[in-house]
Amino acid sequence: MSEAGEGATFWRGLAVQKRVVGALTIREIYTRFGRENLGFAWIVAEPLVFAVPVLFMWQAIRGSHEHGISVMPFLWSGYLPILLFRHLGGRILLFIRGNAGLLYHRRVSILDIFLARAVLEVGGNVTALIASFALFYAIGAVDVPQDLPMFYVGYFFMIWWCVAAALIIGGLSERSDWVAQIWMPYSYMYLVFSGFFYLADWLPPALRNVALYQPYTQAYEMIRGGVFGSVIKTYGDPAYTAFTLAVLTLIGLWLMREGRKYVVIE
Amino acid sequence: MIRAIDVCKDYRTEGRRVHRVLSNVSFTVARGEKMAVLGRNGAGKSTLMRLLGRVELPTSGSIDQTMSLSWPLGLQGGFQGSLTGNDNLRFIARIYNKPFDYIRAYVDDFAELGKYLSEPVKTYSMGMRARFAFALSLAVDFDCYLIDEIIAAGDQRFQRRSHEELFEKRGDRSMILASHVGEIVRAYCSRALVLHRGRGKVFADLDLALDIYNSL
Repeated sequence: MSEAGEGATFWRGLAVQKRVVGALTIREIYTRFGRENLGFAWIVAEPLVFAVPVLFMWQAIRGSHEHGISVMPFLWSGYLPILLFRHLGGRILLFIRGNAGLLYHRRVSILDIFLARAVLEVGGNVTALIASFALFYAIGAVDVPQDLPMFYVGYFFMIWWCVAAALIIGGLSERSDWVAQIWMPYSYMYLVFSGFFYLADWLPPALRNVALYQPYTQAYEMIRGGVFGSVIKTYGDPAYTAFTLAVLTLIGLWLMREGRKYVVIE
Repeated sequence: MIRAIDVCKDYRTEGRRVHRVLSNVSFTVARGEKMAVLGRNGAGKSTLMRLLGRVELPTSGSIDQTMSLSWPLGLQGGFQGSLTGNDNLRFIARIYNKPFDYIRAYVDDFAELGKYLSEPVKTYSMGMRARFAFALSLAVDFDCYLIDEIIAAGDQRFQRRSHEELFEKRGDRSMILASHVGEIVRAYCSRALVLHRGRGKVFADLDLALDIYNSL
């Protein structure tokens, strides 16, 4: 059952997967950005080009303080996760169909293609996070997060949520065309209910309890707790968030595997 | 060895109906054996190739193998059309863990594509694609080659060299060859699987198999 003796054991299998995901990532950069262009630099620049003008505009409209905290760090820590969610989700719609040609090579699995894409988007997003921080820090618009470990944990959960959601969206979109139709309005509404614009503390208690069922709202609470420290009251619960995301990831992996059955390859 | 047991493949058609393309197809191919797959258009030859290459999964039944199989070498699939020949070579060299320089030199020699290697694969003609795919799979070096029509797409010189590679230099390699062309089947294969209306039957007598195929 092996391919030239490889993949026989778990570790060799892992070595093959690492190589395949690496090759796919490079290929994705070539096909998306061309060889002569900025290449990987563009992956970082893309979120920045989105984020920087929007953030400045918001600050201009909304003033520098709201609910007693500065607007710029609040928006900065909120908008980068939104970009990751939208870009990863948008790129993953019908991705099995779109990459069916790669499945001709039996070493390439759907999960490998997914991972390559996730690595690229997450890598670009984190680099953009750092670059935008450096930029805003230099002009005095944001400060170093008060509680760095909390900020890292929150952002880690946010990345995990985006990856789990992408698995689910990618798997479902192969089954039904509805998913691609719903994605656009959903990704806009996500702006409103995700926690980008609010802290759980600002909500009435009944609504707050509902909002905190959402793992991304939990992640936002932790990110904001990290950025502002004890100045604000936050409700992040890492154990609940990790458990919910683990369940969503398993559902996503299952949907992705099932999704392959719905794909007819040319 | 490759052993296919009771392989079935269904596709959904309009109105939730199911179209059974392959129905309980069984056969074995031993190391070094070269088997033809004969059948009219739509008989399920390419579907069978894709199942053997695990591009798609059978609805039921099993395919076991102890040999390494190439991807189905056909007129489509396996390459990224917008990337150049060289970039496709690089990608495939990476996933199969072969040195790019060796792969590139081999393909350059066998496929004789010259400077076309630095052009996007989508600009290649049918014959060029056939040469490119076949040369690349020879360079990666599999135990068994799944060939879907492409030998017939190449010119005489390519056919002669393919024959040389598969029989003189690599006589121990297996091959499963889907083709409509009687001469090619006779030149390459010792047995034939005839597909008709989803059913498959293996014939050890090539002449008989070709007669049956011609009368379908």
